[in-house]
Amino acid sequence: MSFIKYIEKNKAEEIENILNPIVREWFFSKFKEFSLTQLYGVKNINDRKNILVCAPTGGTKTLTAFLPIINYLVELALKKELENKVYAVYCSPLKALTNDIYINLIKPLEEIGEIAKKKGKEMQEIRVGLRTGDSEQKERQKMTKKSPHILVTTPESFAIVMTSKKFIENLRGVEYVIVDEIHALTNKRGVYLSLTLERLSDISIIEPVRIGLSATIAPLEEIARFLVGVGRECLIADVKLMKKVEIGLNFPGGNIIEAESIENQRELYYILDELIWKHKTTLIFTNTRAATERIIHYLDLHFPGKYVGLIGAHHSSMSKEKRFEIEEKLRKGELKVVVSSTSLELGIDIGSIDLVIMLRSPKSVSRALQRIGRAGHKLHENPKGEFLVLDRDDLIECGVMRKGMIEGKIDLAEIPKNCLDVLSQQIYGMAITRVWNVDELLKLIRRSYCYENLTKEDFYSVISYLAGDYALEHRNVYAKIWYDAEKKLIGKRGKMARVIYLTNLGTIPGEESASVIIGTGERKGSVVGKIDESFLEKMKRGDVFVLGGNKYQFLYARGLKAFVSADVSKNPTIPSWFSEILPLNFELAKEIGRFRKLVKERLQEKERCIEWIMSYLYCKREIANEIYDYFWQQDKFSEIPDEKTLVVEKYKENKEYLMFHSLYGRRVNDVLARAYAYAAARLKHRDVEIGVGDNGFYIAGESLDENKIINWVKSKDLEKIVKEAIEKTEILRRRFRHCAARALMILRNYKGREKSVGKQQVHSEFLFVAVKKLSDDFPILREARREVIEDLMDIKNAKKVLEWIERGEIKIKIKKLPLVSPFGLNLSLQGKSDLIKMEDRVSFLKRMYEIHMRTINNKEEFKII
Amino acid sequence: MEEIINEEEGTKIKFVGKCLLIEKLKNLNKKRKKIERVLVVGDLHLGFGEIIGIFGINVGREMFNNIIDEMSEVFRKIGKVDKVILLGDIKHDFGGILRQEWSDVIKMIDYLKEKCKKIILIKGNHDNFLKKIVRKRNLKIYNYYFYEGFFFCHGERDYKKIWDKKVKYLIVGHGHPAIKLKEKKGNKVEKYKCFLVGKIRGKKIIIIPSFAEYYVGSEPREGEIILAWNINFLNFVVYVVGENLEVLNFGLLKNL
Repeated sequence: MSFIKYIEKNKAEEIENILNPIVREWFFSKFKEFSLTQLYGVKNINDRKNILVCAPTGGTKTLTAFLPIINYLVELALKKELENKVYAVYCSPLKALTNDIYINLIKPLEEIGEIAKKKGKEMQEIRVGLRTGDSEQKERQKMTKKSPHILVTTPESFAIVMTSKKFIENLRGVEYVIVDEIHALTNKRGVYLSLTLERLSDISIIEPVRIGLSATIAPLEEIARFLVGVGRECLIADVKLMKKVEIGLNFPGGNIIEAESIENQRELYYILDELIWKHKTTLIFTNTRAATERIIHYLDLHFPGKYVGLIGAHHSSMSKEKRFEIEEKLRKGELKVVVSSTSLELGIDIGSIDLVIMLRSPKSVSRALQRIGRAGHKLHENPKGEFLVLDRDDLIECGVMRKGMIEGKIDLAEIPKNCLDVLSQQIYGMAITRVWNVDELLKLIRRSYCYENLTKEDFYSVISYLAGDYALEHRNVYAKIWYDAEKKLIGKRGKMARVIYLTNLGTIPGEESASVIIGTGERKGSVVGKIDESFLEKMKRGDVFVLGGNKYQFLYARGLKAFVSADVSKNPTIPSWFSEILPLNFELAKEIGRFRKLVKERLQEKERCIEWIMSYLYCKREIANEIYDYFWQQDKFSEIPDEKTLVVEKYKENKEYLMFHSLYGRRVNDVLARAYAYAAARLKHRDVEIGVGDNGFYIAGESLDENKIINWVKSKDLEKIVKEAIEKTEILRRRFRHCAARALMILRNYKGREKSVGKQQVHSEFLFVAVKKLSDDFPILREARREVIEDLMDIKNAKKVLEWIERGEIKIKIKKLPLVSPFGLNLSLQGKSDLIKMEDRVSFLKRMYEIHMRTINNKEEFKII
Repeated sequence: MEEIINEEEGTKIKFVGKCLLIEKLKNLNKKRKKIERVLVVGDLHLGFGEIIGIFGINVGREMFNNIIDEMSEVFRKIGKVDKVILLGDIKHDFGGILRQEWSDVIKMIDYLKEKCKKIILIKGNHDNFLKKIVRKRNLKIYNYYFYEGFFFCHGERDYKKIWDKKVKYLIVGHGHPAIKLKEKKGNKVEKYKCFLVGKIRGKKIIIIPSFAEYYVGSEPREGEIILAWNINFLNFVVYVVGENLEVLNFGLLKNL
């Protein structure tokens, strides 16, 4: 029984025949012909089939979904049969939807209305309602009485209307649901939406048709199942618009080692300048907010005055208005160049960009495609992009990525499963709307693809949590729902339930940004900028970081204020991209490992090897030369690690280092590093430092016995080891706070008072300790652990790697070296990521006391009083 | 190990875990002498568990039991005393009285009654509504308390009487002092509750760590300790609270 089916395109006449004459006239007044995407999608949607439409950016996806719906509504409106209900829900993860919706929905409807008027046909008004977090109270109330026919919303606001007593009546007859940008929902927001969709199906008189719109993504079958849930059919329209990918690979300067130096950074700006003026509008992706600022700053320094008014920044820490302003300017063609961290990757139409430059690796093929898709957003233009890389690891990475783009190899997306925090919030929301039988509830939940395999134990542990069973005493005060185990019923508890739900709902954790304030000297008290909360959390007294091109030394934090000193001569101790870095995709990482092996096999014959690299990577000779040199150096100094050889280098600086050249991406390496570090820490009962990158990781400690360490970690124990290793880390606490907020254990908003993230932090800190004492199996605690090892890290693939090692498919080779090898250099410079704690607080205190007693000679100071 | 920090004229000040024990030799008459013992306890913040549990899970009970367990450990070591002084911030909620605060405060008083002859309650900045509760046990609340050269107050307000000649020691809470200890070569940092002992305008001052466990405390070097007086803590001696009521002298803060 196959529920998923790939489809072919329909004939243009078939679609033309569907359309009402007025809609047809409108369409051809705007477009010459149907786009390929429309040929795939329109008829099937009209036939009320669930469908996932996957097409590159600019493939007219949104209109494909709306055209048959508009057509249907126009026909009803002409017959005056439009009812006061929502016919279609359009849900998008983007909040700044207004403009897109105007183009794809409101304007077409207006124009169709005019055509009808001209023809003397009377037509009911087709109403479009926008409901996002920004919608005003008045608007919302109006909507309840006079229902929009098409409701445009976000996943969060969708859940709100699903809980609204009155509005829910307007939703019982929904016939279509469109989920746009579904590729950006392979996260907890998407998990959340999948349950909201099941709630919609549950209250619907007729099962709504589900339409998913996606940019290039894989595996499509999984995304399709994610869209429709369990037991429903889904068509897949894999629209292969033969857009030819035009993508360059380049580095500034003649020699890439020099490109890394400050002097040659100059070269970078000259190349950028040249590229910018060769094109109409250029979009530059930098991956991080800090780099975005730096690029703008230096372009101006190198070319004074040239970019005034022509350059704009766009990143997620900017205000909404500021970002919108930049988007508007882009659309109007007023800007020559826009520099973005990652924030412009997603959807909205941003006008006539004809070149996308990627500084630093985008870390996955689909992300790279998404980015260059921003150029030539119009249907028949080819996207054009340029990789500009600054170091040799990036050169190889982008080279292999580019090969994947050219050959159409897409990496795999993953959707989180059985998230108990999201589940808690949704069950709470459902209990507000009515009394549920728990079996019926579980059945509904399991219809979501993300909860298909939810165990009864997990389900009941969430019910127990919500019902206050973990509260030991005063059960009534703390419960969120009531649960009658005998009758198997649950329902709402307390008058505040609905308000609490509505003001705290959502899955995006409150990651606030912290103000950076000068804490000493003349400029004391002046605010110099903002940093992410997660970045602040990593900082320790004395750390030096870069913000807006200036260096600051961190003094202390008070809530969400970071006090710094501006008078710094030390070099930065924290790389500015630290908190924001994207992880390298596992599939792509393996491809690079394969490439390493193929080069290694050919290394002895220089000329042939270089030519092979040129043909394999479709690249210029100078790039192939550069790559060859890099491999040759590694080979001479140590050994080239590849997909079959895991090279582990041992060397000594102030500590002993074990550098594992495991090219699997940082999500996998994070797991492996923690497991090996845990083994090392256990052996010596001392803390061990780890550093994690995409190309490998290191562990560092006083003395490391590599054989014992490596043999101790076995794939079958990995989960247990890693769970233990993360138990005392900051990251688990932080994720616990996020999960606790999602599960409504910590409220962001209570009785109208917004709680600061700082306050939530103090509470969650204590809650974490208390919950652990109460029960180690508390569902939200387990969810935090799952999120860390499955979503943030990648235990599944890490386990796979260990199995390969155990089966001998990967050989470990230990190399003893005087210092770090060329391949390990970048990683060792990056600094440590975390500390695996083994020594407990009490023994650490004793050790510190002893050290202290030894160093203090002046006994006088003990006698101050 | 308890640290004795002064033994002038029959006065002993000892650290017992997070508490301070003052022993004073008193002449009842020419022949009979008696040692009076006073236990000082820092910020308790009873009821905090309920605040955070208001919509989450209830951890308040657990928290209160922990506090009583820890106190019992103190009394097990030092036996009964003459007076217990609670240095303010006895309860947590500024804005009213939470249901758990009622029971926690009453239970705490009843518990302490068994362990001492007299309970002195000092008002902290959190204690707006404490009066209502302790009335039930016929107790008063003081803004400050003077005893044999010792001046006790919460620490968020200054009092003229502090600067009287009779006062030798100023004992305050409020600051929740805690110290971060850092490995010289490594990256390990841990924070521990501590006493800060130093001088202020000719008086000796001891800042007592909070008794409440939910929050370790504030680091004097990070400007987090705010008292009624401007104090440079660098010349203060740090006594770190360790395991089993042990307190370790780490010397001057500036040398740490």
